[in-house]
Amino acid sequence: MKKTASKIYTGIIFAFLFAPIIILLIFSFNAGKSLSVFSGFSLRWYKELLNDANTLEALKNSLILAFSATTIAVVLGTMASVGINKLRSRWYRTTIDTVTNIPMTNPDIITGISLMLMFVFVGRLFGASTSLNFLTMLIAHVTFCLPYVILQVLPKLQQMDKSLAEAAMDLGCPPLRAFFKVELPEIMPGIITGAIMAFTMSLDDFVISYFTSGNGFQTLPIRIYGMTKKTVTPKMYALATIIFFVTLSLLLINNIVDNEDSQKLKEARRIQKGEKPEGDYHPGKRNAALALAGVIVVVLCVGAFSGSKGSKELNVYNWGEYISDGSEGSFDTIKEFEKWYEETYGEKIVVNYDTFASNEDMYNKISSGAVSYDIIIPSDYMIARMEKENMLLPLDFENIPNYQYIDDDFKGLYYDPDNQYTVPYTYGVVGVIYDANVVDKADIGDWDLLWNGKYANKIVQFNNSRDAFGTAMYKLGIDVNTTDTALWEKAHEEMIAQRPLVYSYVMDEIFNIMQSGEASIGAYYAGDYFTMMEDQADNVDLQFYYPEHTNMFIDAMCIPSCAQNKELAEIFINYMLSEEPAVANAEYTYYASPNSIVRENETYIEDMGEDVVEILYPEFDNFADEYNKYAYRTLDTEMLAYLNKLWETVKVN
Amino acid sequence: MKKIIELKNITKAFDGETVLNNISLDIYDNEFLTLLGPSGCGKTTLLRIISGFVQPDDGEIVFMGEDITDVPPHKRNVNTVFQKYALFPHLNVYENVAFPLREKKVPKDEIDKKVKEMLKLVMLSGFEKRNVTSLSGGQQQRVAIARALINHPKVLLLDEPLSALDLKLRKDMQQELKNIQKSTGITFVFVTHDQEEALSMSDTIVVMSEGVIQQIGTPVDIYNEPENAFVADFIGESNIIDGVMIKDGEARFSGQTFPCLDKGFAPKEPVDIVIRPEDVDIVPVEKGMLEGIVTSVTFMGVHYEIIVDVKGFKWMIQTTDFVDVDEHIGIFLEPDAIHVMKKSKYSGMFGDYSSFSDELEQLSVGGNEE
Repeated sequence: MKKTASKIYTGIIFAFLFAPIIILLIFSFNAGKSLSVFSGFSLRWYKELLNDANTLEALKNSLILAFSATTIAVVLGTMASVGINKLRSRWYRTTIDTVTNIPMTNPDIITGISLMLMFVFVGRLFGASTSLNFLTMLIAHVTFCLPYVILQVLPKLQQMDKSLAEAAMDLGCPPLRAFFKVELPEIMPGIITGAIMAFTMSLDDFVISYFTSGNGFQTLPIRIYGMTKKTVTPKMYALATIIFFVTLSLLLINNIVDNEDSQKLKEARRIQKGEKPEGDYHPGKRNAALALAGVIVVVLCVGAFSGSKGSKELNVYNWGEYISDGSEGSFDTIKEFEKWYEETYGEKIVVNYDTFASNEDMYNKISSGAVSYDIIIPSDYMIARMEKENMLLPLDFENIPNYQYIDDDFKGLYYDPDNQYTVPYTYGVVGVIYDANVVDKADIGDWDLLWNGKYANKIVQFNNSRDAFGTAMYKLGIDVNTTDTALWEKAHEEMIAQRPLVYSYVMDEIFNIMQSGEASIGAYYAGDYFTMMEDQADNVDLQFYYPEHTNMFIDAMCIPSCAQNKELAEIFINYMLSEEPAVANAEYTYYASPNSIVRENETYIEDMGEDVVEILYPEFDNFADEYNKYAYRTLDTEMLAYLNKLWETVKVN
Repeated sequence: MKKIIELKNITKAFDGETVLNNISLDIYDNEFLTLLGPSGCGKTTLLRIISGFVQPDDGEIVFMGEDITDVPPHKRNVNTVFQKYALFPHLNVYENVAFPLREKKVPKDEIDKKVKEMLKLVMLSGFEKRNVTSLSGGQQQRVAIARALINHPKVLLLDEPLSALDLKLRKDMQQELKNIQKSTGITFVFVTHDQEEALSMSDTIVVMSEGVIQQIGTPVDIYNEPENAFVADFIGESNIIDGVMIKDGEARFSGQTFPCLDKGFAPKEPVDIVIRPEDVDIVPVEKGMLEGIVTSVTFMGVHYEIIVDVKGFKWMIQTTDFVDVDEHIGIFLEPDAIHVMKKSKYSGMFGDYSSFSDELEQLSVGGNEE
């Protein structure tokens, strides 16, 4: 009875530990895109992964970093362990032990921030324009890898017979040689374990890397994080599966080495007790395991280090999944630009393409002064803020002749009234998505649908104060940028009134909830509506309409004041406006394009479908007017605090 | 005989605590010399000074006429057998023994010849491919000796090499070590705290205590003519009694005057009298020079060990005749049973068996030196 119970308990624990990995593994072989439906076995996502140059570049960066950091950490860590082990004073030794362990016990975020501060500070001291680069990241990784190496090597040194080195010296070995010939082989298992731990730690780290990464060198975790603008694609499952198996095999190898070590020890004890040695002891297994580990690491690194760098560089900072990147046979914008540039100007160029997950992330990174990008693609309100803080450079439109194709609707908008700083990239309008199988045709058309008592518990609302209050204010006809708290109070009452009807407050979860039919009404961007529609369940029929007034966003290309190569950046912007890349990007992102070339392109309309184009590009009498009047603008800090307080009461009660 | 090593006024302190105090010692060619003393007497430190792992604070080490005080260990022509053998676990028996030759870049076939020769000497032929961790303690010991000898050092240093072996094996190894020393003609400097081991193996014994050499001599000298109460007590069992030298050949103790063979003391000089337990004859009370009461009797196999109270001082006597507890006996001493020593700082500390117990004795001798 007790045995069964403990077995069940163990089973549950294992299920919790491994279920996510197993699901990830299964869905990496899914033929379709859906998270919920397995539509057949296929290697599609693995193929796509291999074609995704940006992700492979990030993977390569991660491997280069992990390999370099591990090598340095192993050398320094072993040296440090030898030193600590030789300390005579117990107090001194414990102190040093504790101090070296701090990076391990310290929260990553503190290590990350403090390292970034230091790098920026030192960088400024030496007058460097950008202080974060590969080297700073490497230093950061060595910092947190070091304790893992010491933790593994030091005990091996302490267990080792102290007279081994003396014996070697006694037999004619100079001291350093004695260390390499006699002590090093003894502590090797510890060094290997430490190296494997350091390697996995470095490969896996996000938080510290995030704070210390500079331009042109993004690791895999940072890139995956940047993909959250859209949902993570299944090719990431494929990548995760591969990484999981590589890590697993490294761990297994490590265990074999360790196991053999303890077996050897046991064997020795048994013999000392005068017992007979057991027969099944194979020293060869360990060597084979070590060789295998070596092969894995070498293969990874050869793959990583192949590929070379040119001289001229352009640093682009964009949202994740926000440029056509060659996946699924699409146009590879960055590669094509590099090719085009070389053909046109006869010069090699390397584009370093990094991604961010939110406007605020981007802003923080740029304003830290630790990185320098030539092109950024923020959203409207962030552009307004950066402009006010003199963080943008005025563009030289001589270099951007294709600007003429930008629709006049997108000129003279509030964030750039004199058209000095920006070239719009995409725009989107918020509309209402509903399930036609549930919602009456008669009830649709305006914001009231989200307050319709008939659909209690079928409505989802934004899980963010600005967007959520926005829906209420459009419904009531209140200016969404007002500073009149009385009006905000009214919107607040409306929110409270809506609460009993709300199924859930969501952000990206809306995709799954709407696709599966759990909820039937929600507001989101038109571009995202199409993504949802693609994978909707059989009994769900998602439809879309624009209420009378609603929010719009525009993301635009700008050159930040930290740019190193303004002219090149302008050439890039101009290229982005030319037909092939502009169409490819519009098709890839599924957002509306302000570029008239795109709107008039026949393949684009054909590829997207006329009905889609119709929804993506709603008609406006006067777009600029509508936009300037109804789009969200940045609220000042006081208003934001006030709004968040109101929002708390909506969510808490 | 030729001097191989001369230690001149060696002084060493660790953390302000003096471990060796002005030690001077000559070590001769082809000699089996033992450094003997209890834990903490400085014998291992002295050995490590010879091998070069410890630098003396003061003094000089001369090796075959050459000052080697500042020569690092790997350049000294001495080799060490470590207490825990210090075999290299990642190398097999063959490679362990070949290690010093490989360091010297000796040609392969010569290495092979020498290693085989060495393994034969320590009776480990056929063990070449064995992993050293899979050997017994005695076998590991032999590998360590073979490894240390393969370079044919002038001097072999052995740091309590037998302490980890059990008694039977230890006896065999003692014999074997002695044989190896004789057949190779290499000078052995052997560190031990085991006086029996020292007596049975050595040509010369150096008795040390508290960082000072107490006595240097052959085993027979050390046993029969101990310099002071410490040596007398540490080597074998001794009754050490407070006495006065009346004149040459006449000593007075326990209220009696005894004829003895010692001379050369000042008249009426206070001295320590040593009487070995096996040198005491038990006779009927009326024939005895002294009279005592037996307080305990322990059967030891070859003999009985009895404690006798003589005027409040407890004597240990070893005898083959059985006497019973509380029996009154007479004690008779031949003149050559009495050994007279000058007073030293150890006087009065040893040689009284009032609180004797076997257990305590074992505890105080049995502790290994670090």
